[in-house]
Amino acid sequence: MLWVDKYRPKTLDKMIVHEDVAQNLKKLVSEQDCPHLLFYGPSGSGKKTLIMALLRQMFGSSAEKVKVENKTWKIDAGSRTIDIELTTLSSTNHVEMNPSDAGFQDRYIVQEIIKEMAKNRPIDTKGKKGFKVLVLNEVDKLSREAQHSLRRTMEKYSASCRLILCCNSSSRVTEAIRSRCLNVRVNAPTEDEIMKALEFIGKKEGLQLPSGFAARIAEKSNRNLRRAILSFETCRVQQYPFTTNQAIPPMDWEEYVSEIVSDIMKEQSPKRLFQVRGKIYELLTNCIPPEIILKRLLYELLRKLDAELKHEVCHWAAYYEHRMRLGQKAIFHLEAFIAKFMSIYKSFLIATFG
Amino acid sequence: MSDIRKWFMKSHEKGNGKATPGDSGKPSAAKSQPKKPTQTQSEGSARRKTSKYFADKQKPKDEKETDEVPAKRKPQTDIPEAQKPRLSKKLHKVDDDDDDDFMPSNAKSTTDVSPTKKLKSCSGRGIPKKSVDVEESDEDDAKDTKSPLKPSGRGRGGRAASAPAGGRGRGGGGRGGFMNFGERKDPPHKGEKEVPEGAPDCLTGLTFVISGTLDSLEREEAEDLIKRHGGRVTGSVSKKTSYLLCDEDIEGRKSAKAKELGTPFLTEDGLFDMIRASVSTKASGQEKNKKSAEKVASSAAKGSPQKVDAKKESKSSTVASNVSAQILNSTSKPPLPKHQSTGATLVWTEKYRPKVPNDIIGNQSLVTQLHNWLSHWNEQFLDFGKKGKGKKQNDPNAKKAVLLSGSPGIGKTTTAKVVCKMLGFEAVEVNASDSRGKADSKISKGISGRNVNSIKELVSNESLGVNKDWIKHPKSVLIMDEVDGMSAGDRGGVADLIASIKISKIPIICICNDRYSQKLKSLVNYCLPLNFRKPTKQQMAKRLMQIAKAEGLQVNETALEELAERVHGDMRMALNQLQYMSLSMFVIKYDDIKQRLLSSAKDEDISPFTAVDKLFGFNGGRLRMDERIDLSMSDPDLVPLLIQENYLNYRPSGANKDDNGLKRMSLIARAAESIADGDIVNVQIRRYRQWQLSQTSCLSSSIIPAALLHGQRETLEPGERNFNRFGGWLGKNSTLGKNLRLLDNLHDHILASRESNSGRETLRVEYLSLLRDRLTNPLKTMPKDEAVAQVVDFMNTYSISQEDFETITELSKFKGHPTPLEGVPPATKAALTRAYNESSKSRMVRAADLVTLPGPKKAPKKRIAAMLEPSDEGLGEENGEALVESEEEDSSEIEDKEDAADGEKLQKDLEGLKSKAIQVQLDLKENEKSSGKKKAPAGRGRGGSGSSAASKRGGGQSSGSAGKRKR
Repeated sequence: MLWVDKYRPKTLDKMIVHEDVAQNLKKLVSEQDCPHLLFYGPSGSGKKTLIMALLRQMFGSSAEKVKVENKTWKIDAGSRTIDIELTTLSSTNHVEMNPSDAGFQDRYIVQEIIKEMAKNRPIDTKGKKGFKVLVLNEVDKLSREAQHSLRRTMEKYSASCRLILCCNSSSRVTEAIRSRCLNVRVNAPTEDEIMKALEFIGKKEGLQLPSGFAARIAEKSNRNLRRAILSFETCRVQQYPFTTNQAIPPMDWEEYVSEIVSDIMKEQSPKRLFQVRGKIYELLTNCIPPEIILKRLLYELLRKLDAELKHEVCHWAAYYEHRMRLGQKAIFHLEAFIAKFMSIYKSFLIATFG
Repeated sequence: MSDIRKWFMKSHEKGNGKATPGDSGKPSAAKSQPKKPTQTQSEGSARRKTSKYFADKQKPKDEKETDEVPAKRKPQTDIPEAQKPRLSKKLHKVDDDDDDDFMPSNAKSTTDVSPTKKLKSCSGRGIPKKSVDVEESDEDDAKDTKSPLKPSGRGRGGRAASAPAGGRGRGGGGRGGFMNFGERKDPPHKGEKEVPEGAPDCLTGLTFVISGTLDSLEREEAEDLIKRHGGRVTGSVSKKTSYLLCDEDIEGRKSAKAKELGTPFLTEDGLFDMIRASVSTKASGQEKNKKSAEKVASSAAKGSPQKVDAKKESKSSTVASNVSAQILNSTSKPPLPKHQSTGATLVWTEKYRPKVPNDIIGNQSLVTQLHNWLSHWNEQFLDFGKKGKGKKQNDPNAKKAVLLSGSPGIGKTTTAKVVCKMLGFEAVEVNASDSRGKADSKISKGISGRNVNSIKELVSNESLGVNKDWIKHPKSVLIMDEVDGMSAGDRGGVADLIASIKISKIPIICICNDRYSQKLKSLVNYCLPLNFRKPTKQQMAKRLMQIAKAEGLQVNETALEELAERVHGDMRMALNQLQYMSLSMFVIKYDDIKQRLLSSAKDEDISPFTAVDKLFGFNGGRLRMDERIDLSMSDPDLVPLLIQENYLNYRPSGANKDDNGLKRMSLIARAAESIADGDIVNVQIRRYRQWQLSQTSCLSSSIIPAALLHGQRETLEPGERNFNRFGGWLGKNSTLGKNLRLLDNLHDHILASRESNSGRETLRVEYLSLLRDRLTNPLKTMPKDEAVAQVVDFMNTYSISQEDFETITELSKFKGHPTPLEGVPPATKAALTRAYNESSKSRMVRAADLVTLPGPKKAPKKRIAAMLEPSDEGLGEENGEALVESEEEDSSEIEDKEDAADGEKLQKDLEGLKSKAIQVQLDLKENEKSSGKKKAPAGRGRGGSGSSAASKRGGGQSSGSAGKRKR
């Protein structure tokens, strides 16, 4: 089993990072009722872990007996029927799903499926927990319409159902939803915390950690705990015992992006742009989300750029990222960004060096 | 420019000068009508002069106007023409020919100004100019490709410069002649020479072959020039070739052949000289010319129609006066050609429908074949019964029906009818379009009195009645027209038809357009297929010429050939076009046809590639906005993709002197942004159904990028062909869809393992490299057995199936990087597979591959304990609680299932139970329906305490994929 999963805290008490949040949640739940919750924070900060632990706190170990369902819902949308396929993880007390998987049809998921689930009060009425919990992941990726339909559901069925929303950026969740939830911000763990976690794992695994090695991993992980643990294990797989200056391998796709960036920096021409397009396609077909590609591209570009261009390039990256979300064919926007960059950079080079 | 204009004026004036004497002389010679003088002058507006009036006068004019067909033209037109050139040219640079027409008429007699003129847009007068226009526009286009300086070039080139509109539409529009500019060199002195205007028929009878690059003309222009002057252009050298037109001996096949045959070579200048010579010698030569030309036209013109007119007029002065009054008043309706006004007003296609088989153009052998078949039909099939089945016919006549196929308008129906008529059969035509749906299907039922049911009766009754009443009843033939349209309305139409054929006692002729249509597949076996080919343009032209003569139209053969070519062998369309043109003009020339059909050519399907070629082409900048919209709307989905795929390949002509590529780069950036705009607009259109935005979308996704970057295409990769690639997005998107689906499966499995609950995205972005390492590194580094054991163990922990293994390696493979499995010895791989399968027997399957959708896409995974394929009735649902079924039951269930839906495989490998209970619930699409079956569920009874794992596979995938794709 991977260390990430092996050492994932199962209960609120065992949390290594965010103990304070965990304790607060515990108190909240112990009062027998809890409001809707919205967890937000960067990836790898522990939102999911917190949610799972919270569920366990609420329902006991039955929350861990989960079945995975993947079924097709037939939804009657006016004139036609829409088939939507959705994977859910459910226990007797909760259902977890990722409504944004349905793409632009997510509205129907919210309007029909979630409402349907929310309506049904769990039969188990032994006593206290008279409600079930819906865990919705990636709420920030829900379309605006879906979010609008969600808010009514939140109010109407609040008697029988609690929603736990989980997202990376609360700014993409509408105000209306945010105000209906208790917002829980889950910070990215600090590097110290990450190092602590890594050392904890190292101890449990009985590994020799050279001094500074954990610090380097933590630094590379960009304050993403999951990432840190994963690359820790990758290092372990690749070479053990560790050496102080052991290379920390980047993710496969990150490596590829940095190749692209050096291509772009070397030459700015239609031909190069064409080649870069091929590489971007390669990334996209390997299921790397376009936003992440763009972000990484920018990150790598900024490392190599002169200071005076950084501002402008950031501006354009933000501009095209926004447009990419409005659009559908990500490659067009990525390409537009790269073309824009090439154009800017080229004129900069010519202006500077003639 | 001014030089050119001067030149033109001069030539016209010269023409005039010459003409005047001619005029004076001629009228006397001409035995024109008494009315002529008055009419000619006053009738400036009347477009439709009967040709006889003018026949005489025309000669002088013809001389002047090199373009004019010698045939009778209206005299008045000539006079104004002398003046026209000045006025119209100066004033109406941009204007259409219509305007040109106006001008002269105005100049001549103010009273003439009649709105009706417009109707006539193409009438005689306009013609000369038109031709020039066309030429110019072509020229302009050509020039553009070469050098911006051109405009001052030859002929009227100047106009193009002052009036950019000159190039609009025509050059870019129809011919695609310049699309392949990359292939042939441009003429070295393009546009630098004056192209002479000669007598219209000065090249009549001559056949040219063009070879290599000419000095100043594009090949298309040269062809145009020759055709306009009555010559023919063929593709290869033969004995009939009069000249090989070439400016440089490129030692090609053509020149070799020409040398062999002794064909004279002719340079471009030589050609010009020939044409010019015709002008100068015209005064004298005109008459000759005319005669030769008139052989064709005037005989007809003077002959039938006019004579009729003449007679009429003389006979009944009232009619004549009416007519003349009409003409004088220039009533808004153009007077019909007398011929028509007196005669039937039939559509020409009906009027000139062939009456005897020999009239049919082309396909004579098929006609004969049909004839033979029909004439032998009775002997063959009706006598059968009597004589016994003894002789099997092996000749093609053995089929009881024929199937005529071929594109529309080439005379299939006509052939059938004519042949029937000739053989004395009574043809009963069932036009599938009127009987379809109700009738056709009833043919076999034959219930009651509808049209086609009577046919049904006809078909079968005849069989009874044959012997007795044979002589009394006329023989009948059933013509089933448009059989390929039949099954659209009613199902089984073709089957019924076949049944009818089997029992029929009369011949059946089926007619269709597309013989290879899926619908007709079965029918073809019962029929004798006769495939009609398109008639050649010469054949068509010949027939068209006859008709034109009969109608009193003056057309030359080149023009008709052009017409024939434009309609792609569709005789009916050709006739319709011809008739339509005859309404507005009397003399039809090559250029008229060319221009007329240019506009109709637009309605043809443009392939997205052609559209993109045009948008990006050199002339892309000259297209009018509506043309661009038309082009990009020709396929609003594909064109933007093609544009996006190829825009990098164009070297924009807008960026001149762009040494370092800076301008180009910034243009590309703008284009890319615009394409991205288009994507955003497209989302609005599709997602929110804002279809009113589709033009906006076109504009930003196709037109703006094309406008920014149009120019010469270049290749970016070595070895690439210099043609537009097909958009890569579609392919990539479907790969992405596939990979996402695979990733989904992996994700489901991992979720089902309960070891992790990360999201799909996280799985890809963060987990995948480690998973890959964990799966492949041991194989590379450790001893085989140990490695295999470790990997299999890891796979089991995360419920990773072998397919998932492949998914992982697939997804982390990047072009140009070593594949993750590189360096793993095949033996190890094999061992891994073995070990994996081995352990799968005792494996507790946690993977709930719940995926439910039915589909052939994926092979069922072995890994999974139970594989169910949903049968149509629906499948049971398996619940953890519900499963306490013994293995025997299972297997019997399984068998049942297999019977029910063949091809279903059930496989059970589950034996062990694990303490960790995983409940897998299968949800089938048809859950509700199958409630009755619930207990059956093929389940894998896992006897334990509700721990069961089953997975059902197969069902879900394809719809899943479909769903995804929708997204």
